[in-house]
Amino acid sequence: MGMLFKIALRNILRHKRRTITSAITIAVGIMFFLFMDSVMSGLDRGGIDNMIELSASAVKAQTRAYENEKEAFPLKYGIGNLAGLRALLANDPRVIGTTPRTQFLGQLSNDRQTVPVVGTVVDPSSDTTVFGPKRFLIGNWLSGDTREIILGKRLAQDMGVGVGGYITLYALTKYDSRNADEFSVAGVLNTSDPGINQSTVILSYAAANDFLDLEGLVTEADIAIKRRVNLRDMAADAADVKRKIASIFPDLAPATFMDIGASFLEIAKSKRAFGVIFLLLLLLIAGVGIFNTVLMSIYERIREVGVLRAHGMAPAQVTLMFVLEGFITGLAGSALGVLLGSCATWALVVYGYPIDKMTGNGDMTAGMPFWGTVYGEWNVPAIIAMFIFGTLVATIAGLIPARKAGSMQVTDALRFA
Amino acid sequence: MAILDLKGIRKEYRKGEKTVEALCGVDLSIEKGEFLSIVGPSGSGKTTLLNIIGCLDTPSTGSVVYNGRELGRMSEKGLSAYRKDNIAFIFQSYNLIPVLTVQENVELPLVIERKSSRTEMRAKAENVIAAVGLSGMADRLPRELSGGQEQRVAIARALVKNPIVVLADEPTANLDSHTAEDIIALMEAMNRDRHTTFIFSTHDKRMESHARRVIVLRDGAVASDERK
Repeated sequence: MGMLFKIALRNILRHKRRTITSAITIAVGIMFFLFMDSVMSGLDRGGIDNMIELSASAVKAQTRAYENEKEAFPLKYGIGNLAGLRALLANDPRVIGTTPRTQFLGQLSNDRQTVPVVGTVVDPSSDTTVFGPKRFLIGNWLSGDTREIILGKRLAQDMGVGVGGYITLYALTKYDSRNADEFSVAGVLNTSDPGINQSTVILSYAAANDFLDLEGLVTEADIAIKRRVNLRDMAADAADVKRKIASIFPDLAPATFMDIGASFLEIAKSKRAFGVIFLLLLLLIAGVGIFNTVLMSIYERIREVGVLRAHGMAPAQVTLMFVLEGFITGLAGSALGVLLGSCATWALVVYGYPIDKMTGNGDMTAGMPFWGTVYGEWNVPAIIAMFIFGTLVATIAGLIPARKAGSMQVTDALRFA
Repeated sequence: MAILDLKGIRKEYRKGEKTVEALCGVDLSIEKGEFLSIVGPSGSGKTTLLNIIGCLDTPSTGSVVYNGRELGRMSEKGLSAYRKDNIAFIFQSYNLIPVLTVQENVELPLVIERKSSRTEMRAKAENVIAAVGLSGMADRLPRELSGGQEQRVAIARALVKNPIVVLADEPTANLDSHTAEDIIALMEAMNRDRHTTFIFSTHDKRMESHARRVIVLRDGAVASDERK
């Protein structure tokens, strides 16, 4: 094996240009895949982070009864023991905040048009410990004034109202009686998630207790947990908090951001599938290159094969010698690809890229919840898998012509000129 | 006692629609320590006969017996193993492995044979390199050697595993007359000192004159078999 490896390695080094071309093809394929994987992971992470920050939180707890009817946003299934839930989570080092929210159906009107909306009632002081709307706010956050409202930017534009303007809100109260009131627009939320821009209506509990006869009804508790570098670790923390809540409060149906963002993650998965197809195409090209390289190497050394066979080298050993050439080329290409891919990933992880500038901070994100600067993510299993896969493709590509060399008749090989 | 017995060897090749008969009924018995030359015009079947003796090719009919062992029905793998243990080759164009040094080229049959330790291999190779007069050149690559030196390396490579038979196909054909004389003398010395059987095909009259037995082939048959 040592001698075979030596011959293979020296032959590879003897034909540097050919070897480098094949290795670079593999390296470029792997580098692009790792780069794309990091971008995709970063987009997923950015999307998930922003979803957590603006709508889903890390863990959302609602009653089981509310969960069954949540499409109708009923104002009748409140969390009975919010104080107990807060006390349970207060000592958990992973939890950084808990805030109540209540959602309701309503209509906004500006005398000319009326649009249906889903409103959110928040506690202005604790809400900002869990969610981060202030970052995207034009104007002011809710003060304590019972006649203030926050609107999404697109919604405000459609209704022809801005910060300091007035808008009428219609809704059914907790007791199913109709109510309407005029609110002053304290702030406008400007995110690049069209969904949030188009539908956000936020009131304080101070306003809603009066307007919706809420009497302190809280339909959901939103919990923020510490951000972890790796999304999988954060998902594990959230799942653990979810289990903890479910075990103590059996009437609650807690859900993590992974549960809530399942559809988003499904889309992310299909995006990944394109990445894999792209990689397979590149590696196929690299494989053809390696096949050709090994085949050329065999044709150049047919007499050498004859000599080795004449000295008693078994066909399998001859095959192995040429397979090793493919393997070494693949190993070098994969190592280079992993190195370049890691450098590109490092740059993405450290510096990121401003997706809102690239997409014009508008609807270019096609409804996906990401904006701001998106950072890349390290995906160590993918790096290891690519290294193995690249080497394997090259080895298999080398095997086909190598078998031809092994099965050659000695006399034919020796006669070859 | 004969180490090699060939009986009724025939070899036919298909060339398109035609069947060419390269050997037609060769009977031959070779004893240990012979220095034997096979001569004859081009196309007379010299290389085919060497290939069959060297287990590189199988006869269409007839039997090849080495030390009492019939090789006719051996598989390709079995023939490889037999070559590895008993036979060595010297080629007209040397056929050294270009990426290996002199030392590594000479060690190659031992590596394939896998019977010696690393230290033994090194010692055996150094020994035989010294015997062919190439001490001090062990680290050179084939491209750094002259034709004569390359053929000496090929001889060292053939002898390193102490084969029963060394087969040489026109070993001096690519060499100038002075170098060819050196190579013949070296092969004779090895035959004398080690009692290794040398069978070589040649067109070279000088080489033929050194042989102690000359077999003349004509049209695939033995035309004469002379011992000196």
